[in-house]
Amino acid sequence: MLLEMKGIAVNYGKINAIRDISIQVPEGKIVTIIGGNGAGKTTTLRAMSGMVPITKGEITFEGKRIDGLPASKVVAHGIAHVPEGRRIFPQMTVEENLRTGAFLRRDKDAVENDLEDVFKRFERLRERRTQRAQTMSGGEQQMLAIGRALMSAPRLLLMDEPSMGLAPVIVEEIAVIVEEINAQGLSVVLVEQNAELALELADYAYVLETGNCAMEGPAHELHDNETVRAAYLGI
Amino acid sequence: MLDLLAQTGLNAVYAASYISLVAVGLVLIFGVMGVINFAHGELFMAGAYVVVAVYADMHMPFFIAVVVGLLFVGCLGLLMERALFRPLRDNPLGGLVASIGFLMILQALATMGFGVRMEFIPPVTQHVVQLGENISIPLARVYVIVAAIVLLSALWYFLKRTRFGWALRASAQDPQAAELQGISIAQTAKIAMFIGAGLAGIAGALTAPLISVNPHMGHSVIVTAFIVIIVGGVGSLEGAIIASIAYAFVHTFVTTFYGGVIADITGLSLMLIVLIVKPTGLFGSADRA
Repeated sequence: MLLEMKGIAVNYGKINAIRDISIQVPEGKIVTIIGGNGAGKTTTLRAMSGMVPITKGEITFEGKRIDGLPASKVVAHGIAHVPEGRRIFPQMTVEENLRTGAFLRRDKDAVENDLEDVFKRFERLRERRTQRAQTMSGGEQQMLAIGRALMSAPRLLLMDEPSMGLAPVIVEEIAVIVEEINAQGLSVVLVEQNAELALELADYAYVLETGNCAMEGPAHELHDNETVRAAYLGI
Repeated sequence: MLDLLAQTGLNAVYAASYISLVAVGLVLIFGVMGVINFAHGELFMAGAYVVVAVYADMHMPFFIAVVVGLLFVGCLGLLMERALFRPLRDNPLGGLVASIGFLMILQALATMGFGVRMEFIPPVTQHVVQLGENISIPLARVYVIVAAIVLLSALWYFLKRTRFGWALRASAQDPQAAELQGISIAQTAKIAMFIGAGLAGIAGALTAPLISVNPHMGHSVIVTAFIVIIVGGVGSLEGAIIASIAYAFVHTFVTTFYGGVIADITGLSLMLIVLIVKPTGLFGSADRA
């Protein structure tokens, strides 16, 4: 198992954001976490990357405990997080944003190669290389956020609501990108409000409800499941 | 008349040099720490007193005193980060109040160590560069101008071309997202405090032989720096430099032709006008750095 979360709880003050969540991410797969607002999807993802401290349970990545590490140390283990709302550095250029993603890397030649790969994958970023990130459209910013995460040469990519606020045609583009990245061997954890999209992309899915895991199973099974369809797919 | 204008312009360039060193440091600290450092004028004062101690009292070379000023005040910045701003992270108002306390401590220490009287500092050089019949500039002022250009260019290169420079800007623009890239905020905070404070210190050290050094000299410096960063747009380094130059020219010319009090009033009025017309400052935006 690439990443394993066992019995995780996270509290914000006195509020339990998540109570008891266990998630397994196998090597090379796309795992999705779906659920309504406030179910704890984003918190679960933040716990994985060390953005919020956990109060219970343990997280292992490639067999090593990573819970308790600050976010700035988790990246070094090979986990890249594309945060909700993209969170690119608005006043920095596209290229500076991407290079900042490689902040911890010392292998200069490989960084240049990866930068070229990102530019190949997202030609629009190459065109806008010297432009300030904030001047780009939402879809371009999402691509930049993904590109920045790829620049850390991760083995696991955490994506929080990559489709949020984007036009349907751009959402399709992002979906294709996620599939491509995964096809090249990168494992992905996808948190999505858009359950339809998430269940189409993913191999395995977890459904969260008020901080607990309500259901889990292969994505295509959940996609056809009556309860899931009624609650999350709006059909 | 033309000579007088040229001479005044030259004086303005000198004023712009040390004002921009102070203002850029203040902006850098605000950007990364999210705190307005009220003690910034006193860091300038501390730099000046390093020159009093090392150059005037211990008779070491002026150049050494300036370098010591940079390092010593830079370390005061590190001390502020560790003792005040780190425990008060996520509490900008608390950080501001703590920096006011630190300002008073520095003033008290300077008074205890050196007394309240103005310090006499022997001139570094009596040499005057003659640029025309009636245009001249003391060499000591040229030092300040050259130092400001060199230091600000170096800072520019650091911020725009090096990985730690990007890390610093990233942590100013979005600390959480910066941590996700592996950037340690604790580390960038230290770098920003050292550079920001060090720039104020070296500005104080360089100008010490040219101005009156006393424990309360920081006041006028911080007021000027505040005007400059508000006009330039809080958080914008480019804005701080351009506003420093603009302010220095306006202030120096008005002082020469109408007097110092009118010049101060003009400076403050300009700040008010900018705040009314463009509240984010000339180069400011809602984001930082």
